[in-house]
Amino acid sequence: MDLRWFLVMGGAALALSSMSPIVAARRLGFFASALPHSALLAVSLGYVLSRVLGLDPFACSLLLSLPISYTFTFLLHRGVDAEIATSVFVAFTSSSSVAAMYLVLTRFPAEASLWSYILGDPLLVSWSEALTILLLAALLTAAAVLVYEVEVMIGLDADFARVSGVRVELRDYLLTTMLTLASVGMLRVVGFVVQHVAILLPAAIGTRVARNARQLMLVSVTLSFLAGILSVALASVVDMPPSAVYGLLLMAAYVLSLLR
Amino acid sequence: MHVHRDIVLEGRNLVFAYGADEVILKGDSFEFRGPGLVTVLGPNGSGKTTFFKVLLGLLKPQEGRVLVNGVDVTGDPVKAGRFMSYVPQLSSLRRDIPVTPLEVVEAALRSRGLHGRARRGAAVKLLEEVGVSEVMSRTLGELSGGQLQRVLIARALARDTDILLLDEPLSGVDPRGREGLLELVREIAQRKLIVMTTHDPVQALKRSDYFVVFNRGIVAQGSPYDIYKLDILRKAYGTVLEIEKCLHVL
Repeated sequence: MDLRWFLVMGGAALALSSMSPIVAARRLGFFASALPHSALLAVSLGYVLSRVLGLDPFACSLLLSLPISYTFTFLLHRGVDAEIATSVFVAFTSSSSVAAMYLVLTRFPAEASLWSYILGDPLLVSWSEALTILLLAALLTAAAVLVYEVEVMIGLDADFARVSGVRVELRDYLLTTMLTLASVGMLRVVGFVVQHVAILLPAAIGTRVARNARQLMLVSVTLSFLAGILSVALASVVDMPPSAVYGLLLMAAYVLSLLR
Repeated sequence: MHVHRDIVLEGRNLVFAYGADEVILKGDSFEFRGPGLVTVLGPNGSGKTTFFKVLLGLLKPQEGRVLVNGVDVTGDPVKAGRFMSYVPQLSSLRRDIPVTPLEVVEAALRSRGLHGRARRGAAVKLLEEVGVSEVMSRTLGELSGGQLQRVLIARALARDTDILLLDEPLSGVDPRGREGLLELVREIAQRKLIVMTTHDPVQALKRSDYFVVFNRGIVAQGSPYDIYKLDILRKAYGTVLEIEKCLHVL
């Protein structure tokens, strides 16, 4: 057991689960479940770009991912229905990510391990990567807690928020930025397959047990953090990837919440 | 301390349409003076909510201007929001996330720069003022229609604006609750200008100072005696049954 594994898994769980109640309040579930496609595209393209230009692949991925996600927000602001905008977004990002992954696998086969991004692999993260992930996770969690109240206010009634002086359209872009950075930044840890579970399930559990919005955030973050830590401890025992154990633990928590 | 003074909400030659076929305002003008209660009467689907959205700056009219005390707020919700607050129709409010009345009012108090204990105290006071402090820790999904309307009125009051727009506040409320709610609205109208929509001409009759009959534009406006006439109401509603009830009450 390495402290690093617990730190990155706990950090990723915190970052993603702190977005979860906001996603639920703003009804962005469709977008959140489509984000891993975009993250995989950004990581693949970022890898290619970093090899060609000699830049840091993580930074390249983060920078590339933002314009892709802003396209979705732009479509919504243009009046496109959320489900249609999501379909267009998924169509573009999933097709492009397959093309980008093919490029990586055929041109840089020995250097790149896309499997760690698909399945998630906190055990292979180096200390420098771990520190970057932790810093990003801390920033995103703090940002989520700070914007939470206003995001719930917008989610309840966007028009009231507008006349109260909230710049809802700007907030949409801020939220898109946060979600995208969380998705790309934590992809290596939780993986493409399980990531949307990490964003969607904590709030699904929270809405069943919480009695107010503050509790919703607290329940989401606490449960997800515990599941993250526990998943690393249990992964070697059950011989499964930590992200799979993490997802199953959250699912078990949801089933338990149904008994209430 | 709130200073009582005259409030004027004015619309000048307002034109708004969603497309060529769906015209909601046809160059309409009006001047609502407060404090007092203005009721906008009109059948369901007549465009009353759109009319409110134009007043609030959420929709920009193709022509014309909206002014509050002479200040142009047309198409600018932030500017309009300095003078106006509003209560939406219950159907447009989400109740599927666990949020309490206390949190709803506290969030609205942010715009006044209140924080911490001062903010919580102000929120509790507002909920007491509208008569729902006993349910302030329940979730919105657990409240009755009448309680929810009162919470939304407290939220609107939290912004301390001179004008409140209430969109169908009596819908989804039981008859006893309606009476109490109208009393509360009347009480607030002593210090603010309230513009309220309703599709039911009978409910609003006894308590309003000024009426606007609305159906895809302003059909008529004035005092109850100017408005509650068979030809005017028939023009807006088309049917006679409800109208005859109104005239009887009058």
